[in-house]
Amino acid sequence: MQILNTFLIGITAGSIYALMAISFVLVWRSTRVINFAQAGMALLSTYFGFEAVTRIGSFWIALPVAMIGGAIFAALVEVILMRLLVKHSTSGPIAAVAPIIATLGLLGLIRSVIAMIWGSQDLRIIPPVSNNGFTVNGETLVFSPLKLLILITTLVLMALLTILFQRTNLGLSLRASAHAPEIARLSGVRVDFIRTLGWALAGATGAVAGIFQTVNGNGNFSPDSIEFSLLLVSGFIAAVIGGLDSLLGAVIGGMFLGLTISFILMYVSSGLFFIAPFVILLTILFIRPQGILGVKAARRA
Amino acid sequence: MHKLKSSNHFGLFVVSGFVLFLLSNRVDELRVYQGASIAVYVVAISSIILLTGYSGQVSLGHGALLAIGAYSAAIAHNELHVPIILSFFVAVLASAIGGALLGAAAARLSGPYLAGTTLALAIGLPSLANQFSILGGEQGLLFDVGFPPLRLGEDFTQYKWFFWIAALAALISMWLLSNILRSRYGRNWRAGRSNEVAAQLSGINTGRSKILAFTISAGIAGLAGALLSMTIGTVSPSAFPLALSFSLLTGAVLSGVTTLSGVMIGALALVVIPEIADVVAYRIGSSENVATNLPGLMVSMLLILTVLFVPNGPVEQHRARVARKMAKKN
Repeated sequence: MQILNTFLIGITAGSIYALMAISFVLVWRSTRVINFAQAGMALLSTYFGFEAVTRIGSFWIALPVAMIGGAIFAALVEVILMRLLVKHSTSGPIAAVAPIIATLGLLGLIRSVIAMIWGSQDLRIIPPVSNNGFTVNGETLVFSPLKLLILITTLVLMALLTILFQRTNLGLSLRASAHAPEIARLSGVRVDFIRTLGWALAGATGAVAGIFQTVNGNGNFSPDSIEFSLLLVSGFIAAVIGGLDSLLGAVIGGMFLGLTISFILMYVSSGLFFIAPFVILLTILFIRPQGILGVKAARRA
Repeated sequence: MHKLKSSNHFGLFVVSGFVLFLLSNRVDELRVYQGASIAVYVVAISSIILLTGYSGQVSLGHGALLAIGAYSAAIAHNELHVPIILSFFVAVLASAIGGALLGAAAARLSGPYLAGTTLALAIGLPSLANQFSILGGEQGLLFDVGFPPLRLGEDFTQYKWFFWIAALAALISMWLLSNILRSRYGRNWRAGRSNEVAAQLSGINTGRSKILAFTISAGIAGLAGALLSMTIGTVSPSAFPLALSFSLLTGAVLSGVTTLSGVMIGALALVVIPEIADVVAYRIGSSENVATNLPGLMVSMLLILTVLFVPNGPVEQHRARVARKMAKKN
């Protein structure tokens, strides 16, 4: 029973990490940048969702509101910040690290603006369904209706993204601009627009990850929330495990990370909550620096 | 092999030390304390400049290395009763060992991978303080360098003592660094940063050279950590948040990550910005939420603007402009 519980907790957390990893991968594919502000954007979207919940009262309207808000914000960041960055700092000794530093600055900026508008105290989103575990044969599982909901929503989102990428013309353009921007441009794909779209999709996915991370925890969130630092690191690690370039890889990476952390916390020590991701990341990078599913060239890009 | 040139700037550093000494006698207590903070930041930022600007490796988790230094200094002083001056050396040594381990992993990684790894470390490491009782949990440990020696006079204050220690440490580490960077190692780092393959072809072991850069940088970061906890008086996880790592990186970018001589700009900015923010918040009569978060906002804005418009820092930018003018004249 304990193994089953640990497994279910791991899968739920893993699906949230997978969503976050997907948003890293979408941004990486469109502009070859690791967006360290991704968790900040997810946090901002969670505040959008919070506003919607308090005003309208329905979680089911708040979720799309947060997604749209997150998408618009991410698109704005790409148009305003990233295009300037590409134009200005292409040479010089720190050209390689400039995007990393710029997204960090963005993370700090988002955090301060949030704290200015909403204050730095804890706010709370009440989950739409109970987080009390199901009861099977008189025994209470840790797995709850809420966790089931998170799992199902995540799967639906992943299915939608897969359909978008594999079955539509837009998806074809997205894949083409990721793999060969110049050739895509020559075949009439509006690469700049497609890049912005990639960021917007990432913003929307991150928004879902942010809200689920909040309700899957104790429902509280604040600008300094450690949950979001963890989301940032876990999403990044999951994306790295998946090789940074593949959506399927991100999902597998997220699930793998969620399960591993869950089993470590249960069977080794629950105090390893924050250091476990770091150890897992180092181990992965030592065994296969290009990620479990990545191709060799990805690391140099 | 390569003898240190006679112009190793030793005189310059002695003179700056004397100027600082005169200054510390003429300003009030608050300014002396801020001077100590600036000196601490100078040490910390110069370690990032060495790592990022010269060897081209980015660390988002320097706060973790500072923490290693601070904790080992405090444990050495409190538990093992090591004299205070030696505990600073313990800090350097412990962080350098940690840095060598991290560097061994880092040498295999590039750009975003390394950034993410160090970020994970910065988030993970401080939480270890709650795991081992010797680290004192959330409250942390005391780190008391003691009163200034009596022979310095009756009115020699505690803050002035902090300032003297920190300024001396900053001068020594700047002097060491500026000489290392002009040595064979410094050239190896720059070669590896500019073109790794070309550096390898000219016989540089770039892997080993990167690990060495990480080790030295970490050692200096450890010193900065011990100095920082000296000015606070305690060592606790809350003294080394992610925000510290970010603001140190900001300081390095503002200084211009490739120019050690710009380090004062970044250190000064980190201390002055909160002051300016206070004044601005007071003038516009803003709410408490705005006032407390204005420094963070300004630092982040400055970071983004610097990366966008003067990515190589003001000093380098100025040098490039002068060079262009000279080229035009000829």
